Amino acid sequence: MSAVAGRAVLPPVSRGRRRRDLVMRVLLGLGTALALVPLVLVLWYVAKRGLGAWSAHFFTSDPTGNFLGDPGGVKSAIVGTVEIVALATVMAVPLGIGVALYLTEYGRDSRFAKLVRYFVDVMTGVPSIVFGLFVYIVLILSSVGGGYAGWKGSVALALLMLPIVVRSAEVVLLLVPGSLREAALALGAPRWRVVLRVVLPTALPGLVTGTLLAIARAAGETAPLLFTAAIVNGTSFDLGQRMNSLPVQIFNDIGQAQDRLVARAWGAALALVLLVLILTLSARLISRRSRVA
Amino acid sequence: METRVAFQEELQRLQAQALEGLDMVVVTLERTMEALEQQDVELAQMVVQDDDRLDGRYLEVHQGILSLLARQAPVATDLRLVAALLDVIKHVERMGDQCVNIAKLIPLSGHEPPRHRALVETLVEMGRLSGALVQQAGRAFAERDVALAEDLVARDVAVNQLNRECFRLALEAGDDPDAREWAMMMLLAARNLERIGDNAVDIGEQTAFVVTGLFREFTDASRPAVIGPR
Amino acid sequence: MTFTLVRTEEQAGTRSRPQPSQGRRVSVKGLNAWYGSQHAVKGLDLDFEPNRVTAIIGPSGCGKSTLVRCVNRMHEEVPGARVEGAVLLDGQDLYAGDVDVTSVRRAVGMVFQKANPFPTMSVFDNVAAGPRLTGSRGKDLAERVEQSLRAAALWDEVKDRLNKPGTSLSGGQQQRLCIARTLAVEPEVVLMDEPCSALDPLATLRIEELIEELKSRYTIAVVTHNMQQAGRVADSTAFMLAGELVEVGPTEKIFTKPDDERTEQYVTGKFG
Repeated sequence: MSAVAGRAVLPPVSRGRRRRDLVMRVLLGLGTALALVPLVLVLWYVAKRGLGAWSAHFFTSDPTGNFLGDPGGVKSAIVGTVEIVALATVMAVPLGIGVALYLTEYGRDSRFAKLVRYFVDVMTGVPSIVFGLFVYIVLILSSVGGGYAGWKGSVALALLMLPIVVRSAEVVLLLVPGSLREAALALGAPRWRVVLRVVLPTALPGLVTGTLLAIARAAGETAPLLFTAAIVNGTSFDLGQRMNSLPVQIFNDIGQAQDRLVARAWGAALALVLLVLILTLSARLISRRSRVA
Repeated sequence: METRVAFQEELQRLQAQALEGLDMVVVTLERTMEALEQQDVELAQMVVQDDDRLDGRYLEVHQGILSLLARQAPVATDLRLVAALLDVIKHVERMGDQCVNIAKLIPLSGHEPPRHRALVETLVEMGRLSGALVQQAGRAFAERDVALAEDLVARDVAVNQLNRECFRLALEAGDDPDAREWAMMMLLAARNLERIGDNAVDIGEQTAFVVTGLFREFTDASRPAVIGPR
Repeated sequence: MTFTLVRTEEQAGTRSRPQPSQGRRVSVKGLNAWYGSQHAVKGLDLDFEPNRVTAIIGPSGCGKSTLVRCVNRMHEEVPGARVEGAVLLDGQDLYAGDVDVTSVRRAVGMVFQKANPFPTMSVFDNVAAGPRLTGSRGKDLAERVEQSLRAAALWDEVKDRLNKPGTSLSGGQQQRLCIARTLAVEPEVVLMDEPCSALDPLATLRIEELIEELKSRYTIAVVTHNMQQAGRVADSTAFMLAGELVEVGPTEKIFTKPDDERTEQYVTGKFG
């Protein structure tokens, strides 16, 4: 090493290193592009095939069930999805948040809490068709409250949503700083008030996000609804009867020989994707606008 | 919002206590000189006994400063002030002792000593000047007036001159052994008065230290050697 | 049986000296505390004089924070934590079987090391949180909030932005907000666990000045690892080491001529 007057104290980056850096950057970029390609392709394909089927008629009329003539739109499917998922949400979310509250505030590391967590984890891995079958056997074969019904579909979806809600709610609740709980307790508040007035409001944005994501997931599930809500053509507001839904409608239509029906299926698929997209984006917006201090 | 209020109050209180000590010295000096002038043995005795008050004041301020240093960790001007107060109160105690030294001479010089009128008058004048010096030192410190503090040097020169005058007069005391003995004692008194003046100048130096942060001996503030006649 | 609080009414006003109230004496007797198997506080006896500030100093891990958390019964919130012994507030044992924990915490307030205002609440709501969370209903809530903010020397700075989020204040202001929040439940005793360690020097001095004012109405204990702070703020200082109380006495004595050699070593910085 020669000591030249005015030389830099720090040695410059070697050329070999610079080359390796470039190679790695390119590889990572390519890998990312590779991962994105199928995603983009799917979205583009659905959009291309689905947009053609969209029209005012598409959104405002029910499927007619006619093989020939006007096949109708998917109004009942959309309405049905909304109803069934809404009911499922009402069932799953309060229960799920309640379980999460138990796990973070009361049970914590107790044996029972650990057991509950384990079972919730197992449930997240259960295939959705199993929930459908379960409800089919317990509620439909036994003819409790009639045959196929929208609310039974909601039960199946709720079972699906429950572990998702519990998991995400628990994560969010754990993110609430312990110092806030401490401060509230030190003021002399009973624990339930601390949970209700301090913990929940602080975790609220995260809870909403988790709920929206669970809803997005449930909205797209076909298998549970196949066995529980089944399918029907007309728009119905009676959850006690059979009810149509987007995933089932798509499932039905895609197997038909008629091109128009297949096109309708693509249109419905696009509508479903859009619904999920809106829900997910809303979740993102809410979580970005607020943060747990 | 004002901060460290209690600390500032405590600091001001300590300063007030120290400066009060100076006031006490002035009063003590006046009484000492009166006792000297009137050959008042009882007054002289009171002066000696009352010195306990000055010693007590010294301990009070000293302890107060120690406590303040331990608890408040003063810095910058506050620290210089605290250090100066320690020095000032030491001088106060010294000056008290010097008055006591003078007061102790009075009964020793006998009941009706042969007194040289001029010497007594010179001493009284010296006492008056020294007293004024102490008062000025106190004022300079309280007002942080460096110019006034430096002026102390010039005034101390007058005290030193009177000291030399006393020496000269003492030499002319005559051959009477009583007279000579009395003159010796008066010289001792003069020396103590001169020391009081020096202490006052030292306090002036502390004033300059608090304000400027530099400690320097004022010119001519050194101890006078035994000066022969000019 | 709930804990009765007796307090004299103070007038709302600016930072004029409020009327002193008869403070409460806290006596810790034979206190032992554990985290699981770790013995954090060992057989400790300590008195906190009414209307005085007591500082608790000691090296990290000596148990000083654990001690104060036993006084307001927050220690037992930690899983696996255990307490034995008694803490008397004017003679009444806070650990007696029939005492309601929440009323203990109302009577003994705590300010934490890092200011923790509730992020979803405004300045006003933060201070009002105390009364609201403890169920005392809205009578004169606005007045109570103003009084507490005045007592915490924060009113003038926030009176025009009571609706802004509590987290929009500076660090020192947030800590004073937490103090106001604690005062709003009208405690008898205020415990402070290193209240200034996250603040800059000026904010620290302001809070120390505030402590000086507050002691006329409350009994105050301050845990601090900053010895100069103990010197400035405390009437008496207690030195703890490895869970034990080594020495307690007037602050001046502890810092000029402590009795115990270990105290001398610690305050002169030879260890810790």
